[in-house]
Amino acid sequence: MDAFIEGLKHSSTTVQALGVSAIGLAGVFITLASFFVIIWAAVKAGGKAA
Amino acid sequence: MYLVGAALIVLAVTKEYEPMLLLPIGFGAILVNLPLSVVWEHEGAAGFLKVLYDGGISNELFPILIFIAVGAMIDFGPLFKNPFMIFFGAAAQLGIFATMLIATLPPFNFSLKEAASIGIIGAADGPTAIYVASKFARDMLGPISVAAYSYMALVPLIQPPVIRLLTTHKERCIHMEYHETGVPKWLKIAFPIAVTMIAGFVAPISVPLVGSLMFGNLVRESGVLERLSQTAQNELAYLVTLLLGITIGSSMRADRFLNVQTLMILGMGLVAFVFDTAGGVLFAKLVNLFLPKDRKVNPMIGACGISAFPMSARVVQKMAASEERGNIILMHAIGSNVSGQLGSIVAGGMVLALVPLLVG
Repeated sequence: MDAFIEGLKHSSTTVQALGVSAIGLAGVFITLASFFVIIWAAVKAGGKAA
Repeated sequence: MYLVGAALIVLAVTKEYEPMLLLPIGFGAILVNLPLSVVWEHEGAAGFLKVLYDGGISNELFPILIFIAVGAMIDFGPLFKNPFMIFFGAAAQLGIFATMLIATLPPFNFSLKEAASIGIIGAADGPTAIYVASKFARDMLGPISVAAYSYMALVPLIQPPVIRLLTTHKERCIHMEYHETGVPKWLKIAFPIAVTMIAGFVAPISVPLVGSLMFGNLVRESGVLERLSQTAQNELAYLVTLLLGITIGSSMRADRFLNVQTLMILGMGLVAFVFDTAGGVLFAKLVNLFLPKDRKVNPMIGACGISAFPMSARVVQKMAASEERGNIILMHAIGSNVSGQLGSIVAGGMVLALVPLLVG
């Protein structure tokens, strides 16, 4: 990852934007997926408890 | 600039396009462009708008206070009842990143920080747009804010044609069952804390954004701070909105606003909203490829993954009902729409974390 970021630092602005877009969108999906897991597990646990 | 200010006021009053923001912005734009601009600075002394700007925008205080208020207004209940909707809140952030990329291409040639600030208009979330722009491109704060709030108000005009273009009548008629499930009280309290902690580890720079939003939500959901929750939802929200609007207007001085760059920003803001909508719809269609026939999602739900709450959910429900009478997908749409509010601040946090890694 560090090498990827280092490579992007020396790239054109458009390539940098492409890199930020790819990592950023993936980051949004991964972060929201972790929220999904929390909610899903909590609702399942709540259902079983009930 | 007087005409621009007047136009914003007319839109706010006659069309009711985000009047709480566009009217103060319009008046602020008129104020700051009056001869001598006394409200900004006069004879070396700061005018009241500059005092507000330094005290509320430069240090990002106003957007943060708005986030507390918005957090107190958000009910994550529909999302908890249908957590899969959260992925539409991620997909509909496509507009942010696509627009950022476009903004760096010729003939626009914006710097990465400027492009990121323009792209964030696609968050469909005024405070996030203001927060990011005030960090990365303070000179563009005026046009970016105007674009963000204007297009949020224009969601009923922007989204339907994009949705129709990307979906068939049959797809728009898909029914979605809604099962009422109980949500444990502790989840409502633990969720804002967990979200803040995850955001803090994934993108520490996003904590002011996420943390203030989730603080407001925790106050709401705790159940023991009803008066504070009501204060955040009403007095705090209205007071800060009032000051935020007129202060943003004060950043619209003619020498900074009346240029081709402003037109490009306004144009790209529209592009961002179109890509947001397309991203959500196309993601829903992709998901449908893997779902059994009786559990397919109505792809219009994907469009609600933008943060414009609750307008986008209403637009989609209206479209579903007009395509087939009695087709109710409102609760799913609201779940997706609430997810968009999470998605937009997470996307804002990603941009805030990644861009400085590349350009300092």
